[in-house]
Amino acid sequence: MLKMKNINKVYQTEKVQTHALRDFSLDVEEGEFIAVTGPSGSGKTTFLNIAGMLEPFTKGQYLLDDVDVGTLSDNQRADLRNQKIGFIFQGFNLIPDLNLYENVEVPLRYRGIKSAERKRRIENCLEKVGLASRAKHLPQQLSGGQQQRVAIARALAGEPRFLLADEPTGNLDSLMARQVMELLEDINREGATIIMVTHDAELARRAPRNIQVVDGQLADFTLYQSRPSGVVTPANVAVEA
Amino acid sequence: MFIHYLDLSWRSLRRTPLISALMIAAIAVGIGITMTSLSVYHMMSMDPIPHKSDRLFHVQLNTMDEGRTWTTEDNLPYQLTYTDAMNLYNADFPERKTMSMRTGFSVHMNSSEVKPFLEGARATGREFFAMFDLDFVHGASWTENQQINASPVVVINQELNERLFGGENSVGRQIYLDDESYEIIGIVKNWEIHTKYYDLNNGAFNRMEKIFVPFSLVVSKELSSWGNTNGWKFEDVRTFQDHLQSEQFWIQFWAELDTPEEQQIYSDYLRTYLSEQATKGRFERETVQFALRNVNQWLEYNNVVTEDNRVLVGLSFMFLTVCLANILGLMLGKFLRRAPEVGVRRALGASKRQIFAQHLVEVSVLGLLGGLFGIGIAQLGLWGVRQTYSYYSALATMDTYMLLAAPAIAIGACVIAGLYPAWLVCRTTPAIYLKTQ
Ligand SMILES: Nc1ncnc2c1ncn2[C@@H]1O[C@H](COP(=O)(O)OP(=O)(O)OP(=O)(O)O)[C@@H](O)[C@H]1O
Ligand SMILES: [Mg+2]
Repeated sequence: MLKMKNINKVYQTEKVQTHALRDFSLDVEEGEFIAVTGPSGSGKTTFLNIAGMLEPFTKGQYLLDDVDVGTLSDNQRADLRNQKIGFIFQGFNLIPDLNLYENVEVPLRYRGIKSAERKRRIENCLEKVGLASRAKHLPQQLSGGQQQRVAIARALAGEPRFLLADEPTGNLDSLMARQVMELLEDINREGATIIMVTHDAELARRAPRNIQVVDGQLADFTLYQSRPSGVVTPANVAVEA
Repeated sequence: MFIHYLDLSWRSLRRTPLISALMIAAIAVGIGITMTSLSVYHMMSMDPIPHKSDRLFHVQLNTMDEGRTWTTEDNLPYQLTYTDAMNLYNADFPERKTMSMRTGFSVHMNSSEVKPFLEGARATGREFFAMFDLDFVHGASWTENQQINASPVVVINQELNERLFGGENSVGRQIYLDDESYEIIGIVKNWEIHTKYYDLNNGAFNRMEKIFVPFSLVVSKELSSWGNTNGWKFEDVRTFQDHLQSEQFWIQFWAELDTPEEQQIYSDYLRTYLSEQATKGRFERETVQFALRNVNQWLEYNNVVTEDNRVLVGLSFMFLTVCLANILGLMLGKFLRRAPEVGVRRALGASKRQIFAQHLVEVSVLGLLGGLFGIGIAQLGLWGVRQTYSYYSALATMDTYMLLAAPAIAIGACVIAGLYPAWLVCRTTPAIYLKTQ
């Protein structure tokens, strides 16, 4: 589904040149659930943004469903993004003027989904994240964790084939975090491909495949097999080290 | 989606009430001032009789000695002599033609109820009403016989009929003009035109006459002109008879010529007529000069819409541009502050075009609101014009066109001012604002 080959991303600011990604290569199959870890500033968000076509890259090749993203126009990218990709941003990035219901509605509107169907999906997703009763609230009336859950609901409502989640549990307590993880696992089972950035080792371990980004490069290592959660394998410990 | 954009615009306006109010006020003031000057201009330049303005011709003849000049661009006098007016009127061609002249009377009813008052009147031919589209509510124009016999008959308009008779059908009743009794034979609708194109002598925007009498009364009652009388040579005019036989210009003349052929025939006729008159020794002229000008040419020739007016409209549009420049600045600030939100929308699948459309709708809403308030300001401005210059009272109003034009111009102007900010904001790279927590 996703094929990145020698992707480079250089940020050019006034004085410094930051090599956020260097020769980054990755293959993701349809239906995978990948946890991405790595130190702060290593390029995880940059990778997700490029995967989601939110940012151009400096060099390399990126195929999404065999389409060369580098050759697409801005409008075509917007279309693809709208049809295939769901985002959970590192900052929640809710729109302050809109209430929860309307925030979740945003991607559905751009996709041209009919009002009745929108309503069904939004209520369903808010229910899943436990915020159905607060649909009329504005983001600033919610706690950080609640806002995080709205952002998740917004991503789920689009029923994306490809979900990019940047620290989706960063602001949640461990119970809530596990619930969110279960939600993600649910939609993964239903067929969605998921790439999730996380600092939470325990959550990362629950994902069938782990990758680590260090200094803009993939620290390649073993592909983990699906296993019961909570079981720490030696290989896993090695990754943490 | 459009409704959704409207909704978003409305929220955005409410979110920053002060800036929104400022922008709307700026547009409203700009539009208000523009519409004030534009409305006056529009009324001034409006065709007063659109369906036949190209068939009504004002006649000018040069009956002065060769070499004499006049104040007009082509040295033709505006009006005709009594001799020429009568000759042209008595000719067989065309069917509809008329001389006319502004005069006036002291009007009373021979009762104590209505105090006598002075009122302008038009002495003219019986064809006048049909030519200038003055419809009768009751009665009709005077007959050929009444015209020849200079019968004391009068046509009044509805307004005067209202004042004197409370609006009832007063045909057959008497009124007193300068202490002589006249029979009312017809009542015409009030004349709803803004330019007194048929007689520009007393100013193009003066009120229309409410009283009409046969032109033959000018002779029998020795009615004097309330317009201009001009001579081009010394003449010893003592009696009214002298006045009638003089070479003085004091009568307007109009002819209705329906086809180019008729216009050609009439031109030929006038050419022959003028040569004849020259040979009679009334004036010494080799070259024949005359002019037939249709209504719009006549208004143009008389500079009814002055250069000042055009300059004023131009200036007010420049002022509107200044207002728009301010709005552009305010919008730029407002839209760019919203870049993070736009980034999120882009990431969630909005195309550039959708973002652009959303912002254009927002500026259009601003324009619409500004335009509506602008109409209010324009009304105030026009009220001011009416108070200051009563002469413009009929002109300083907004007709439907102008009422519709105001928001249209406002929206158009705002969209122009909003294009750049909207374009800038829709180019937002989605990613930039997503990283920061
Ligand atoms: N727009 C930008 N302009 C310049 N430098 C940037 C920009 N975005 C990211 N960087 C730099 O690129 C590098 C990678 O950033 P990135 O946000 O991908 O890190 P990250 O792995 O997501 O970190 P964290 O775990 O803290 O979220 C960092 O050094 C960062 O400073
Ligand atoms: Mg990050």
